[in-house]
Amino acid sequence: MAARQSFSGKAAIVGVGYTDFSRDSGRSVLHLALEAIGKAVADAGLERHAIDGLLSYAINDSVPVATVARALGLSRYRWHADYAGGGSLSASILTSAAMAIEAGLAETIVVYRALNGRTGKRMGQIGAGAGDGSEAQFVNPYGMLGPVHMFAMTAQRYMYERDLKPAHLAELAVLQRSKAVDNPKALLRQPITVDDYFAAPSIASPLRRFDCCLETDGACALIVTTAERAKGLVARPVTIHAGVRAGGRGAGMPDKAGDDLRTIFSHYVAPALYDAAGMVPGDFDIAGFYDAYSFLLLNQLEDFGFCTPGEVGGIVTSGRIGMTGDLPVNTGGGMLCEGYVHGLNNIVETVEQLQGKAGVRQVKNATTALCTGFGGAYGSALVLTAER
Amino acid sequence: MTTAPGKPKPDTTPLTQPYWQAAAEKRFVIQRCRACRHWIHFPEPACPACAGTDLAYEPVSGRGTVETFTVIERSFVPGFNAGGPYAVAWIGLPEQAGLRVLGNVTGCPPEEVHIGMAVEVWFEERAGFGLMPNFRKAG
Repeated sequence: MAARQSFSGKAAIVGVGYTDFSRDSGRSVLHLALEAIGKAVADAGLERHAIDGLLSYAINDSVPVATVARALGLSRYRWHADYAGGGSLSASILTSAAMAIEAGLAETIVVYRALNGRTGKRMGQIGAGAGDGSEAQFVNPYGMLGPVHMFAMTAQRYMYERDLKPAHLAELAVLQRSKAVDNPKALLRQPITVDDYFAAPSIASPLRRFDCCLETDGACALIVTTAERAKGLVARPVTIHAGVRAGGRGAGMPDKAGDDLRTIFSHYVAPALYDAAGMVPGDFDIAGFYDAYSFLLLNQLEDFGFCTPGEVGGIVTSGRIGMTGDLPVNTGGGMLCEGYVHGLNNIVETVEQLQGKAGVRQVKNATTALCTGFGGAYGSALVLTAER
Repeated sequence: MTTAPGKPKPDTTPLTQPYWQAAAEKRFVIQRCRACRHWIHFPEPACPACAGTDLAYEPVSGRGTVETFTVIERSFVPGFNAGGPYAVAWIGLPEQAGLRVLGNVTGCPPEEVHIGMAVEVWFEERAGFGLMPNFRKAG
């Protein structure tokens, strides 16, 4: 595949590691990070002193990379950064690793996200924080607080424009949960029915409990190194082929969004991604779409050109995004079911599929994957590939 | 026995003082750029259309249309958590395409709220603060 980015094919993921995803880890964020990183290093067949770069992202809820480096006993390291932000970074942080490696600024980078997202700072209870704080006076007094209220209104408008009904979200939630049944990493593995979906509480219409991602304690880590080194380390390196960030006006900042009241990141990211990667929708075998909310899966399918706007209502019943479809989406159930590590657990599941390590969930011949990171109307996307 | 915390009070800033002063007088105003006449909400230190900094607050009609909404049944927001389901909406103002404010929609059951619904401003007394703009089903 033609690629137009200098780092394309120059870096590869050689190991993943993760803690369990729980509602009470009983350990510190640093402890979670170290556990995930230790497992990732072992998965890559390396020792921790091989790490010479560290990248992470957080919303004031984690432990800085320098602290992790100290705890890992690294006597020296090179390129490192703490990004401030949430899920918008989950795909692009791998791109950042690839860029640093291609530029020769580090050779073996650990990327991690660690948080006590249930027992510590819970995303569902923070202010929307989309601005400098001054916008709170026009929002909080009306009983609006946090991303779920904000994106419920995005969902409401999207469903209105696409003539989607609650039953469409119900069948999507049921489908995604069915994928978690075979995923030992997932917190929620019991299948649900449409009746279960409607019996669960409404959080903020149209979003019910099973439309919203979990809040969990946990950590994920990935080891990225040069393509050359990767070949010698593991049987199936997962190559970083392309990655972008993009954004614009839209959901998350509707006050200034004009006509783009419900526009999400993928509207801006998709054209940038296809241009950078030199690819088309049909090139992908699987996708790891950011699923803070169920409806985002439908919106991303449309924005990335996997279906037309008119087809989103029927996409679940078409079977196309199921495990035997032409584009299995979030093969472990995603953040709706597995855990919420601000998108990095979706990247991990995708990597395991490309490594051929997805066990019972393995999608045959999965060699090319699309992953995304959502932050409202801005975010990122990543293309990962592996040899057959 | 302590009383339950009331609904949040607007945390005003120097930039937004005139908005809240007008509300205290039951006037609904929106920030506007004197140079290019662009209406601006939420208020900004500079005009997003022309970067101008000569900004003032001018009256708008108080009419609006629900562009999207959500009905919240269980809330973490103080003062809202025991009062039953309530609607929050982005309300488009007719004065400018894309100009919108956030508010509740009162004066009807929350399940009646819909995209395209006509609403009008009213002034709600917020305990410990004073009057603030809010919206209800248009009469």
